[in-house]
Amino acid sequence: MRRSVSGAVFTAVAILAMGVLGARANNSSLAMQAKAESTEVKIDNFSFTPATLTVSLGSTVTWTNRDDIPHTVVSADDPKVFKSKVLDTDEEFSFKFDKAGTYSYFCSIHPKMTGKVVVQ
Amino acid sequence: MNEGLRGTAAPPAADIILLLEIAMGVGLVAGTWFARTGLFRQHAWCQSTIVLFNLAVIVLGMIPSFRVQVLPRIPAKLEKSYFALAAAHATLGSITEILGLYILLAAGTELLPEKIRLTRYKLWMRSALVLWWLVLFLGFATYARWYVPNLFR
Repeated sequence: MRRSVSGAVFTAVAILAMGVLGARANNSSLAMQAKAESTEVKIDNFSFTPATLTVSLGSTVTWTNRDDIPHTVVSADDPKVFKSKVLDTDEEFSFKFDKAGTYSYFCSIHPKMTGKVVVQ
Repeated sequence: MNEGLRGTAAPPAADIILLLEIAMGVGLVAGTWFARTGLFRQHAWCQSTIVLFNLAVIVLGMIPSFRVQVLPRIPAKLEKSYFALAAAHATLGSITEILGLYILLAAGTELLPEKIRLTRYKLWMRSALVLWWLVLFLGFATYARWYVPNLFR
């Protein structure tokens, strides 16, 4: 009887442990997915950071202007794939990338400011 | 950022406009020298050409940029030097250009009614020249605020 009780306790603990580990694994894979789906590019001090960003297909990239002067985010492709309005401090622009490829972009006010999004 | 020889973030059009404006400011001073030496015909040609050329630069180069980048943000964002400098440059620049055109019409043609023609030419012309250089300095400040990294940090 004692043996069967301890066996049941052991089984319950094992199931619980597996459940906890499984949940943690699930959470971490969800976090990785979220990271791949929504990515931020910071605009500050006349530059895009990171200058080259690699994301997975279907990801949405958000550019946030942390500079104290206005900037834009404009696709360098012809025809233009995306184009933001003039972004003042703390304003954002988002674009969802549905096709794989390399997307170069720049700030139309300061054309020497350039960046790339690589969609895999 | 890929920095050019000048190390600024300005597009080529902004650099060209800046250089043209400096040249025009110097040209107006040269035109003043023509008047002082009695070469009034050369003076008239020099100042008229500059005033008209500047009008073209304003219409083709400055107004489009101002409309997109500054106009939607004023007066709400005038506390920011980025917009305040550009707005001050645009306001004083417009007044000066209109004054220049008025002097050109009043002194160089007979198109204006006699009532509104100038009588004290020198005062008006000198005032316009001083204003022009003031606007030029505001233009330098605007260029620096818009395109020179780390200048105001």
